[in-house]
Amino acid sequence: METLTQPVQNSMKPGKWLNSSCKMCIHSCTTRIHVSEDGVINKIEGNPTSPSNNGRLCPKGNAAILRHYDPARFRTPLRRTNPEKGPGVDPKWVPIGWDEALDLVGRELKKTLDEDPRKLMPAINDFQKLFLWAWPAALGNANYLSSVGNFCGGGYHPMNGFIHAAFAAANDVNYCNYWINNGGGDGFSSHLHTAAQANHVAKARVERNMRVVVVEPRLSIGAAKANEWVPIRPATDRQFALGLAHVLVAEKLYDAKFLKKDTNAPYLVGPDGYFVRNGEGKIYVWDAVDKRARLWDDPEIKDFALEGTYTVDGKPCRPAFQKFKDILADCAPEQMEKLTTVPAATTRRIAREFAKAAQIGSFIEIDGRVLPLRPAAYNYYRGAQGHKYSAMANHAFKLVNFLVGAIDTPGGHVGVTLDDQMQDIRGGFGTIQAGENGMLQTMPHQLHPEVPFSWPPNETHLMGFFPIGVDPGHLTQHTLANADKFGLDYRPDTLLMCHSNPLWNLPGDREQWYAMLRDMRFIVAIDILPNESNEWADVILPSHDLLESWNMTMIEPPHHEGMCLRQPATPPLYDTKSEEEIFYEISERLGLLETWNGILNFVNGFHQKPELLLEPTRKYSDREIAERKGKLWNGQDLDWYVEHGHAVTPRRPEKWYRPWEGLRLHFYLEDIVRARDTLRQKMEVADVPFRHEWEWGDYQPLPTAVPDPVHHERADFDLYAITFKDIQINFGESIGNPWINDIVFKDPVHTAVLLNPKAARERRLDEGDIVRIESPYGSIVAKLALSEGVHPDAVCVSNALSRVATQNTGVRHGGGNFNQLLPANLRHTDACSGQPETVAKVKLTKIASVPEAVAAGNSVFGQRSGRIGGKGRAH
Amino acid sequence: MAKWGMVFDLRRCIGCNACAVACKQENSLPDGVFFTKTLSEEVGEYPDVTRSYVPTICNHCEDAPCERACPTGATYTRPDGIVMVDRDKCIGCGTCIVACPYDQRTRLEPEMLNKGLFGDGRLTPFEEQGIGRFTAGTVVKCTFCHERVDAGLLPACVATCPTEARIFGDLDDPHSRPRQLILERRGRQPLPEKNTNPRVFYID
Ligand code: SF4
Ligand code: SF4
Ligand code: SF4
Repeated sequence: METLTQPVQNSMKPGKWLNSSCKMCIHSCTTRIHVSEDGVINKIEGNPTSPSNNGRLCPKGNAAILRHYDPARFRTPLRRTNPEKGPGVDPKWVPIGWDEALDLVGRELKKTLDEDPRKLMPAINDFQKLFLWAWPAALGNANYLSSVGNFCGGGYHPMNGFIHAAFAAANDVNYCNYWINNGGGDGFSSHLHTAAQANHVAKARVERNMRVVVVEPRLSIGAAKANEWVPIRPATDRQFALGLAHVLVAEKLYDAKFLKKDTNAPYLVGPDGYFVRNGEGKIYVWDAVDKRARLWDDPEIKDFALEGTYTVDGKPCRPAFQKFKDILADCAPEQMEKLTTVPAATTRRIAREFAKAAQIGSFIEIDGRVLPLRPAAYNYYRGAQGHKYSAMANHAFKLVNFLVGAIDTPGGHVGVTLDDQMQDIRGGFGTIQAGENGMLQTMPHQLHPEVPFSWPPNETHLMGFFPIGVDPGHLTQHTLANADKFGLDYRPDTLLMCHSNPLWNLPGDREQWYAMLRDMRFIVAIDILPNESNEWADVILPSHDLLESWNMTMIEPPHHEGMCLRQPATPPLYDTKSEEEIFYEISERLGLLETWNGILNFVNGFHQKPELLLEPTRKYSDREIAERKGKLWNGQDLDWYVEHGHAVTPRRPEKWYRPWEGLRLHFYLEDIVRARDTLRQKMEVADVPFRHEWEWGDYQPLPTAVPDPVHHERADFDLYAITFKDIQINFGESIGNPWINDIVFKDPVHTAVLLNPKAARERRLDEGDIVRIESPYGSIVAKLALSEGVHPDAVCVSNALSRVATQNTGVRHGGGNFNQLLPANLRHTDACSGQPETVAKVKLTKIASVPEAVAAGNSVFGQRSGRIGGKGRAH
Repeated sequence: MAKWGMVFDLRRCIGCNACAVACKQENSLPDGVFFTKTLSEEVGEYPDVTRSYVPTICNHCEDAPCERACPTGATYTRPDGIVMVDRDKCIGCGTCIVACPYDQRTRLEPEMLNKGLFGDGRLTPFEEQGIGRFTAGTVVKCTFCHERVDAGLLPACVATCPTEARIFGDLDDPHSRPRQLILERRGRQPLPEKNTNPRVFYID
């Protein structure tokens, strides 16, 4: 019998449990952390009292301990002694003290700021301490090297801001019965609170028989679990959605009542793309009964016309809905099939099923409020929207939801805010406000206020040229390479990174990025583990990890709201500091302490409860900031949060369903037309030399079916390369964590690039071949695996294969970064939203073997591939 | 006395292997060792293709061939049905590994324990506090988290599974969730032709 008297299982050993939350991705599932009597963290579980993740964690959340104890962690501040910088080049770090490090950083940043603040590029990307993103505002500088946001959601976030006044969006799992997932992993592998969402979506699938239709080029986890996988050619998602919309409109399967009453679809649009207004700026609609124009709020209106062509004040015009209908005339599923390859009959069937499931006209009573019930919704994310015409793509997906009345309503497609700050408001940039003419105030700027236009541009990423977009970090490469064209009268020479890995995340040619970093006079990085970017730093400022620090947030929860506490489970293992302390110390050295406190008060919402305001001249700890955020949410102090762990509750219906009740949603985006014309005028006034080349056609108030330029690459680039993440590796640098490596590199999906067997045969390629994948912009090397779960036009590259060799040898490198296949130029960037194209046209060439330089070290090519434990023998 | 067993709901499982990692955390497993893992396999031809995800674990067989094969009596079955290995009696002969039709047993080689999770020959504090449960040269496998179960908790993999695809309970209790699910959704045992009578069932 068992001879041990001490427990052997970690969670059963003597010790204590602490409430905290996860940060292995950008989200914030609640956890309980077990600390042994010797102070060793030996088990992390989900906190079962949270209705969001219900005690569950994804594999990354389960692997946090090994991030904490990773021997590669930065242990002290470090200073580079090797003047030579390059990928994989040893910086020859030497440890230095904090005072020396902070003084050095302060001195170097000061020097740059005194010369020209625009020469300092901040890259601050900690999603759980969003307030840090605002630090550059203290410098009066918006020249970020943004490595998040625009790749995933250049068009996504602004469009959510237009439609829902929110940062993100999700299908309402509480009531949805027909769930379309297009290029997003919600509920299965990625995006919002994956562990929590997988829990709720599995219940809906199994207990309520929610139907799932997944539209994607690759058989993802979601597609594998779906009732139906609809394989689609990459970069044609918008055309699929327009095909659906065509059927919904042609067969009158739309919610006319919703469109007339709750949207601007009946507003009359003139030939210039603007609404037709009277002398006082009030918008006209057409009364279909009295057959005359009336102002939109005329109480005499008998019926809002959605269709028809009219003349008002001598101007020809038509309702916004009719404008969309005109576009849809060219979007029959049969026409769209030529691009998407989705059989027209499939599109037609799905449109009809979707409309039927939406139960147009039905209601549900929730908490005494009668709400439209629309249990069908179209969800999408990076893969579907990450294309040149991103704003149009995002809008097309939203319009499918609009047509069946499924916006912000039970069962439908609902806005998700970033960090709500206070119980009684929808906070931050997700505030609901009345706009002009009865419409919702749009909130396209979800991450920071609008960056003003400037010429020459103050921002190398040209954010001032994208008045309704997300910082297109990749364009920095383009503008620096063409400094004359962009009239740059400065060159950034200082980089401050905080939990940011631009060399991994940004599209574009690696050599050009390397050249830019080589040119930097000074680079400082605040981070935990070495990566592609921070190995270029002159100084490393090591931060606490998620098990050593305080925080309070709940980022983008799709069905819940509240605050999740993070608290230290052990004292810091090494000589590290919190990000709060580091930024306070740097600010003080730059003479910006008061400014920084003022910004923190604003971005954290502390000004909403004056007793929480930070005093201008004090420095606050991570604990003090966390405590204030908790108090702002529900008035409870830190002891309460330590005891309860979180204040997570299901979303309150009155705050989340139709929070804009009484206002009209933007079916038609006149704001985009206005943004275009305002920008055009600014460019005229500034005499910007390339203003005529600017892609003005990208600004459309309604989406069209024009193909993205990636389809027009040279014909010999005959395949489309896409990249993907699964649940083990999404939203975080989890490769290198031994437990994650143990499950990822035994999964055939992540050990080689995937190609359809038929496509392989046509090209005389076979399983196991080593191939060069070449786009017009760059190339990578990979091993080939054949998979029936791939569209015949696609090559699928797991994100696990896109790391490159660095000082952190635990991270297996692949044959190059997928992103180097992508262009970082204006032609493939949405002029409306700043979104870069994320699909590359490529050709495959068989090569004899993996180049030595690529295979050396801890590469994925050295690894045995194969299923975990071989083929399924279980049944 | 309860007879513990597990049901895997194949409609729910998304193949994430959170279960496998939770098990590694709970049991301080050396690199490359799994007590549970979820297999995946592509089924069909484009475009009529899907991928199945199949969690696997020691089935705590009622007629356990590993126990029968074990020459020293190291492998034994607790009264609640959990099949255990007493490492003090295990001589590492590996007969049980051959006897198990489900590939669920691993012999611990010294280098597995020595190289450490990070492969640098050094053990992290987490590993140091856990390594004592293992003896090189003995055979290990899933214990249904017997200590957690004795304390009234669910096995670690069950507790973390995001989709609740792993349902644990008393198979002798006709009202238990696993028993009900086996009945309602016609649970199947793995490799029934091996006559091992597994206490693990699959439903789809
Ligand atoms: S989904 Fe994100 S926050 Fe939740 S357990 Fe996984 S890594 Fe942690
Ligand atoms: S944790 Fe659950 S969903 Fe994930 S692989 Fe294991 S059984 Fe399947
Ligand atoms: S699955 Fe294998 S190890 Fe487990 S009880 Fe059955 S025969 Fe023994």
